Amino acid sequence: MPGPRLDALDAAILRALQLDARTKYSDIAQAHGVSVDTVIKRFRRLKRTGLARRTTVLLDPRRLGLEIVASLAITADPGAIRDVVEHARGLNGVIFATHTMGQIDALAIAATHTMNEMSALKDTIQRHRGVKDVKASIWADQFLLCPQNFELPPEE
Amino acid sequence: MSELDALILERLTCDARTSFRQIAAEAGRSTDTVINHYDRLVADGVIRGSTVVLDTATIGYEGAAAFNIDAATAEGASPAAIMQTLIGMPNIILATRTVGEHDILALAVIHDIGHYARLGREIAAIPGVRGISSNLWPGGQEICPRYFII
Repeated sequence: MPGPRLDALDAAILRALQLDARTKYSDIAQAHGVSVDTVIKRFRRLKRTGLARRTTVLLDPRRLGLEIVASLAITADPGAIRDVVEHARGLNGVIFATHTMGQIDALAIAATHTMNEMSALKDTIQRHRGVKDVKASIWADQFLLCPQNFELPPEE
Repeated sequence: MSELDALILERLTCDARTSFRQIAAEAGRSTDTVINHYDRLVADGVIRGSTVVLDTATIGYEGAAAFNIDAATAEGASPAAIMQTLIGMPNIILATRTVGEHDILALAVIHDIGHYARLGREIAAIPGVRGISSNLWPGGQEICPRYFII
């Protein structure tokens, strides 16, 4: 696997913070027999090198009133795809949009308060110049997040 | 949601390690009050966890992919079981049941085209999977950093 090499402590810090970014540095230090300062310096270095961008909390949009989450599969004229993605990114409710390679030309993920809002959002994308079709898939039940499944670079 | 809840979410979204004391000072409230609000946000499921956002390109991922999965309708086939298998697979970072053309959507991070093809074959081989289609996109983008991460 390409990418930078980490030592065992770097990997342990990232693994701990992947599962719970608020893990105490002292707990990581104790588990690995190093000082708290060492853990802090290592994590600072991982951020400085760009490998760790930041820490964040994972929120459930439904608990914030955004009841409907959906992925929108978009097909569009080849020359319009970039514009379609930019347009989608600017729409209220769209939380991610990218061009893709495969059966569709672009994928957007959106979260709205109601099904009507989602339907209106889909129509707005559908009406944009160059868009041929938009198919929505509503995310049912809970979605499962697995940030721990990232493979880290091999340890030195 | 109170103003303090909103402030807690805003600060922790930017940096999950922000201290409660710092948020308390900014809000003009006690640290205990901030902790109580945070605990409530966790108990209510608003905050589902926290993680470190990795630069996917730096750790060797060239892109990401969405796998649309169709589950078999035969007796004994279980989309829930497929979901459980998916979330145990390396590089799958989100899985959800969907209502629409397909039964399940899985998002994955991808090292290269060969890895993309292998992962597709592994998903297709999960018991109960009837078929898959997929789409790939390049780059180390964060997907919806407020809600879930790539």
